[in-house]
Amino acid sequence: MIQAEHITRRYGAFEAVKDISFTVRVGEVVGLLGQNGAGKTTALHVLAGYLAPSAGSVRVNGIDLAKKPQEAKRHLGYLPETIPLYPELTAAEYLRFCCDIKSVHPQDREQHIQEIMALTDILDVKDQLSGTLSKGYRQRLGLAQALCGSPEALLMDEPTAGFDPVQSHAFRRLVRKLSKKHAIILSSHLLSEVQEVCDRVLMIASGRLVMDQAVAEDTQQKPRFRLVVSGPSSLVLPPLRQLPGVRRVELVQRGSAEKTTFIVEVEKDSAFQQALFKLLSGLSVPIMELSPLGDSLEELFLRVSSGQTPEALS
Amino acid sequence: MNAIFRRELKGYFLTPTAYLFLVVFLALSGLLFYLNNLVTRGSDLMPFFSMLSYVWMLLSPVLVVKLLAGERQQMTDQLLITSPLSSAAIVLGKFLAAGVVLLLFVLIMLAYPIIISLYARVWVGEVFTACLGFLLQGFAFVALDLMVTGFMRRSASAVAAALGVNLFVWLVGLLANAPFVPSAINRLFSFFSLYGRFVPFLSAQLSFASALYFILFCAVCLVITISAMELRRVKQS
Repeated sequence: MIQAEHITRRYGAFEAVKDISFTVRVGEVVGLLGQNGAGKTTALHVLAGYLAPSAGSVRVNGIDLAKKPQEAKRHLGYLPETIPLYPELTAAEYLRFCCDIKSVHPQDREQHIQEIMALTDILDVKDQLSGTLSKGYRQRLGLAQALCGSPEALLMDEPTAGFDPVQSHAFRRLVRKLSKKHAIILSSHLLSEVQEVCDRVLMIASGRLVMDQAVAEDTQQKPRFRLVVSGPSSLVLPPLRQLPGVRRVELVQRGSAEKTTFIVEVEKDSAFQQALFKLLSGLSVPIMELSPLGDSLEELFLRVSSGQTPEALS
Repeated sequence: MNAIFRRELKGYFLTPTAYLFLVVFLALSGLLFYLNNLVTRGSDLMPFFSMLSYVWMLLSPVLVVKLLAGERQQMTDQLLITSPLSSAAIVLGKFLAAGVVLLLFVLIMLAYPIIISLYARVWVGEVFTACLGFLLQGFAFVALDLMVTGFMRRSASAVAAALGVNLFVWLVGLLANAPFVPSAINRLFSFFSLYGRFVPFLSAQLSFASALYFILFCAVCLVITISAMELRRVKQS
């Protein structure tokens, strides 16, 4: 389990991470989202013990990272954005070194390395110099490094950067498999990946944690539709808001009287479509378009990134 | 510490660093030996050892730069700092690895007294104290350069900074003997000069005061390096 309690990290006067708190338990995969420069990597650096927090604390398996860093770090595996490889070492030598610095018992070391290499599918390059490996293999070797010592908490910064689609798919399966025994936090720009592999999403904007919610809740509980009608908004909007199952209506484009666009958020499994057809036929307003909005996490990401708070979205 | 020590030592000999270093060091020491002893047909090795310490002053930053600044440049420091190793274990492991390379060079350097011994009498005690002094002074430069390069993020700037500091230390040694410097400052410079501390060893004196000074100098530099590493986690921008 990894626990962040009111962590703040300042670079001089600039606050890169502001008062962030959350807990990730073993069995959970949490996606860390945010725009470039939002504070994701700084947050991961603080969680991994690479940077000390300016305020707040991090606990790994209940051990305070600031008070007992050596002990707490035994339970942490970190895969940074830039894979920390020594090009002069082979993949196996590199993992031996990683096992040594993570105090893996020498008698168990070779067996442990074999298991990690098999898990991350890098056995075929074990005697190859890490500096000559392809991007995908380097990334997997980096992941293998993070797994040395079987830490309970795994932190990954952009873990699938450089993967081809097949490798990305294999990675997602691996993360799901690892999640049974680990608490995993991964940052990614690939929202589809986060949606597929993560149980929960933490979204950071300008250093603040602006959203912490389950992925299923976000993507399945609030279906959204784009509605384009040929009629004035003043006629359609008030009764549309009153329709059963409608949670929220947003007027996107107030065009000419012939074309008005709305985004309609409805309750899951509501009979929204039937009610809408009845309403608009009664008003004699033709429907030009009614389409479900696909990736609500992406929508949410764009909206949060543009400065809207999650509260404003619901 | 053991893991870091072994990796660094292996790193020196798996890359061209140690071999290039060896070639340059042997070429320069060979030239000095030729000029000091072969051309003059002299058996006194002390001027040779004295000049060799200046060679070490120039080469030490190159040997040390990869240890901390190189890690930061390659961003492999993230692996070390997020591991359960303490900063002290990381720094000491690296210092000892560079120290072993220095020791290896001193052993190779013994070839010169052996060559002299084929043609003239060599005082073993004199050579031993000179080698010991060179070794202690070399360790002090390694610790100093490790400290200086530890503050740097780029290898090139780290080498430049370490060379600058080494030259400053050399200047301090020169100023210690300058007539225009007030005597109080003169004494202060003499006390701290790494070169001044080497002089007794060149006179076949096993100076415990100087040996202790070199050891303390190393300890202070290493403590600063470790503290700076810890502080960087807090203050890094």
